[in-house]
Amino acid sequence: MSDDLPDLHVLDPDEFIRRVHSFEHWFEAVEGYLGDLEHGHRSDLEPSELPADEREELVSILCNYSVAETAALEASGGLIRIAPNQHCKIFLSTQVVDEGRHIEVVHGRLEELGVEDPEAEVERRASQSIRDFHDKLLALVDAREWDSAIFAQNVILEAMEFTVFAAHIERADPVTRDCLERMLRDERRHIGFGENELGRRLRADPRRRRWIKAVKEELDPLVLATFEQTLAELKMPRWDRPELGRSYLNAVQRLGLV
Amino acid sequence: MAEPRVDRERQDDAQDSGESAGERKRFALDDTGFDEVPKKYRKFYRKWGGPEDPLAPNEVLCPVCKVVIRSPRELRPGDRVYCMACMARMVVVLGEDGRLEAEVVY
Repeated sequence: MSDDLPDLHVLDPDEFIRRVHSFEHWFEAVEGYLGDLEHGHRSDLEPSELPADEREELVSILCNYSVAETAALEASGGLIRIAPNQHCKIFLSTQVVDEGRHIEVVHGRLEELGVEDPEAEVERRASQSIRDFHDKLLALVDAREWDSAIFAQNVILEAMEFTVFAAHIERADPVTRDCLERMLRDERRHIGFGENELGRRLRADPRRRRWIKAVKEELDPLVLATFEQTLAELKMPRWDRPELGRSYLNAVQRLGLV
Repeated sequence: MAEPRVDRERQDDAQDSGESAGERKRFALDDTGFDEVPKKYRKFYRKWGGPEDPLAPNEVLCPVCKVVIRSPRELRPGDRVYCMACMARMVVVLGEDGRLEAEVVY
């Protein structure tokens, strides 16, 4: 049988897991949408001049994205050391690369918007709620709390980013939209890894649910505050916001954490 | 490259359920431009256009990442499908509204 499967879905489940957690899979997946870019977007897109108030809001939003991506970069790197198996270590090493790229793209976009020192701007503008989330996530990693840290990072944080990026794409200027659309493709892998890894571990030992629920109760308000702030800056009507949180709520429900 | 390991039991089940007798419709899959998975697997997926985007009998929506999963044959409850975009394994079930849905298997 050749490698060009007539039906991918007949693949053995263990073989599927082995394949998708490989660096080879990651490389072949990202080459479809990360080639020939400049600062994370198509090079033929001309940055448009934004009105002053829109530029200000976009800079603030990007500063929050930077802190969220930094949290995911630092936590992913730390989690490699405590990952329970080789598949998880390899997957997280691909996530580290993704998150590092995201920070580079966000800072590149800030520079295109005229921000001279993106790091200083992030320090000045990022919201307290996302900074607190960053600190609490890294504390879980430092405490070697694998289940809780994966939940905080790959379910809570990634679900929020996925939802916020998707909403932002609808309203963004062409350059920002192109950057976000490519970042969103990476986020699918991160969300899926988190949910599947946790789902397997909760099935093996349902007692773990108790600890994860405690983490959820502690971190939910921080993420919701960031979520609300960003959606308000995006001028998203309040009545549309519950729908946007649905992907996170559905994931939590599938994992039996409600 | 090494031969991919396929699930023989699942393949046999598919044949026993009448696939060889032609009861299930077959579908030729083409590349719709879904670029988030390796090139050789792209035909098994497509972007979802939202609630107004109807799914074909060989398609089901990934509940985790909202990508349309495609099979070369008509899907039925009990079939297993994979989402390579988010790495989820799923089983096809009949939803409350009578439409096919994918349920994540951990």
